[in-house]
Amino acid sequence: MGSRRQHHAGLRVLATVAAALAATAQGAEWWAPGDGRPLPVEALYANTSGALGILNTAGAIETRDHPFFTSLGSNGRACVTCHQPADGMSLSVATIRARWEDTQGADPLFSGVDGRNCPNLPAGDPAAHSLILTRGLIRVALPWPPRNAAGEPLPTEFTLEVVRDPTGCNTDPVYGLRSAQPTVSVYRRPRPVANTKYLTHHNFGVGPFIAKSGLPAFRDPDTGEPTSMNMMADARATTLKLQAQDAARNHLELTRALAPTELERIVAFEQQVYSAQAYDDAAGDLAGPNGPPGFGPQNLASATAGVLGNNTSRYVFPIGTTWREPSVESPDTTHAARESIARGHDVFMFRTFFIRDSMHLNSVGLGNPVKRTCSTCHGMHMTGMDVANGWMDIGTTNLPWAREAPRNPWTTETPQLPLFKITCNADIAPHAFLGRVIYTQDPGRALISGKCNDVGAIVMQQFRGLAARAPYFSNGSAATLRELVDFYDRRYDIGYSEQEKQDLVAFLGAL
Amino acid sequence: MRRGVTITSVALLSSAVLAAPPEHRRNFVACPIVRDTASVPCWLAEHDGELYFLTLQTDVSAPVTPPWLGHRVLVEGTVAPNRDPICGGIVLDPVVLSVLPELDASCNTAVLPAEERFNLTFEPPRPPGPSAGRLAFAPAPSDAPAAAPAPAKRFALRYDFDGLVVFRHAAELTAILDAARAHKARSVAITAHRGAVLLSDGTTLTEKPGLAQRRAEQLATLLRGAGLTDVEYRVRFDDTPGAARGEDDAALRVATVELLP
Repeated sequence: MGSRRQHHAGLRVLATVAAALAATAQGAEWWAPGDGRPLPVEALYANTSGALGILNTAGAIETRDHPFFTSLGSNGRACVTCHQPADGMSLSVATIRARWEDTQGADPLFSGVDGRNCPNLPAGDPAAHSLILTRGLIRVALPWPPRNAAGEPLPTEFTLEVVRDPTGCNTDPVYGLRSAQPTVSVYRRPRPVANTKYLTHHNFGVGPFIAKSGLPAFRDPDTGEPTSMNMMADARATTLKLQAQDAARNHLELTRALAPTELERIVAFEQQVYSAQAYDDAAGDLAGPNGPPGFGPQNLASATAGVLGNNTSRYVFPIGTTWREPSVESPDTTHAARESIARGHDVFMFRTFFIRDSMHLNSVGLGNPVKRTCSTCHGMHMTGMDVANGWMDIGTTNLPWAREAPRNPWTTETPQLPLFKITCNADIAPHAFLGRVIYTQDPGRALISGKCNDVGAIVMQQFRGLAARAPYFSNGSAATLRELVDFYDRRYDIGYSEQEKQDLVAFLGAL
Repeated sequence: MRRGVTITSVALLSSAVLAAPPEHRRNFVACPIVRDTASVPCWLAEHDGELYFLTLQTDVSAPVTPPWLGHRVLVEGTVAPNRDPICGGIVLDPVVLSVLPELDASCNTAVLPAEERFNLTFEPPRPPGPSAGRLAFAPAPSDAPAAAPAPAKRFALRYDFDGLVVFRHAAELTAILDAARAHKARSVAITAHRGAVLLSDGTTLTEKPGLAQRRAEQLATLLRGAGLTDVEYRVRFDDTPGAARGEDDAALRVATVELLP
């Protein structure tokens, strides 16, 4: 690994070619399993607002025969299929569509197990792949009731009914809730496999008991230590090893367990790869020595993981002062873009609004409502994740806030996602903000914990490389960063001005 | 279970006839009111024609955490003598607040707007946005003892009314876990209780029957779940509601955990 200065210099040089890269169609940098190309120490990939930087702190990765980049299971996929370097180690819907076009739907990405709305649907029919093609969603099939590590069913605090099943999977006699192996199908975005030290930290907020509920935290079976439970949308796998085994089994259709050497290589790769936007078409170089100290992959690699940034001593995404001052070296348009990003940072950190009826935020000692800012929940230094075990219900999947198709005689839009009715048992306290009956597109953490209060609670994601991996939220319900900002504006009745919205979008896109 | 219910009925009847809290106490159930200010919002409640100040919004380290709109709140407070009103409310200090579990749509009121006359006349412990780098009620680094004292062997966990373990118990449970390991405890004795509150109107509010058992069993389950499995658990509970006097009745909603060799 080179010095920080060397990395900065390298990214700055790479950034100069970003304009040329910007002309490259998104999806052209597809990594197929077994590709065999080395992944360099630093790489830059064009996206719609600039370019994303990838940094491998352990040096260039020889991908030939590397288990992250090699098809291991029966469906031809590798980990890299859904965790593409160009997409911030996640997968954008633009890339998915390009891949569909390039292969006429034959790429292993569209395998029946989860790249189709349900395995029983016809392969190659775009309608059968509508959720991955329109929202970038992968089917996640989970047993119901949930089971512990020994495979024994866990007690649950609620009953679950299928109200709407546009994919047909939840009512299917083979794959559904009433099948021989009762299964719930929900549809979620692949998460970035980068910057993972922030996902697995053992720092502030991580202890033997979950800071938001007092319930025991899941412990790493290898070390016995409590985990941060901040990796997957439902926190069902809480270490990189467990996640890799889960993904190999369920998404690669590997019928054996990953071998120890395979696991070690996968985890070693995931622990050293960093990803963040490195170049912005309007604001210029984000990763250079004069850029904001919180931007770019090198700063991510060198910062401390698992510490609070919701303060004025550290900040969530430190932006410094340089960009706030006029610069003779920067054209007016560049300076204006940088000012917008800096204003967006200030909206994120300091613009207060009332956060209301959000489980695992309003219920953890702050009151309902609480007058705070974006950085209250998105407080982890450098990633904007929650420092503590971070599942929360902000309404992305629970009604009445989740995005639903309008129902009237004049629309042709139909619901895409399933809808479940949750009825909390009479012998427990009702959900603190939604009562005993909850309608949800994805019960989230509750599908693992069986807890009424966890219905619709989703582990929040890191904010890095956003420009490379639309759409957003676990169910892909925000197609753009602007839609994401608009969701919050509606959900919490914030009343952002148009300028504030534009600045927030500019800021988020630069992360 | 049946015995507990019988005792509760007697307690309700007798307290309604005979008892009243001390005069300085204000124990009541009400919808909370939240009023915005130029800084953090303040939490209030009306009782018997008076407006009381309950607490300010601060952060998770606060000893008194704000209630929730959409739920009634049980207020157990003492009128603080010689204190100027805050946000227009008579100050209750100390005060214990319990959010009642069931939703109550009548408590879903709007946030009252900030008014100049109700703005805070002091700096709140925590602004509404980012902190200056530490939690509002965390001890200052200079206050830390030079050497940590020996861990306790006996712990008392207090509960919200009708409540089980919540977020704030995580730190207490961690302390128990650490102490059990430090003392190499071979046995953990858990005794949980069910409480009651004498309200200012002379009636008694009693926690749900069976709660003492649920509290005791939950603590054992949580400690086991956190890895404290190599000890014997002695789980006991007393579901007879404690005798409410209207003064510190919150102490009746308690479970003790004792670490034994």
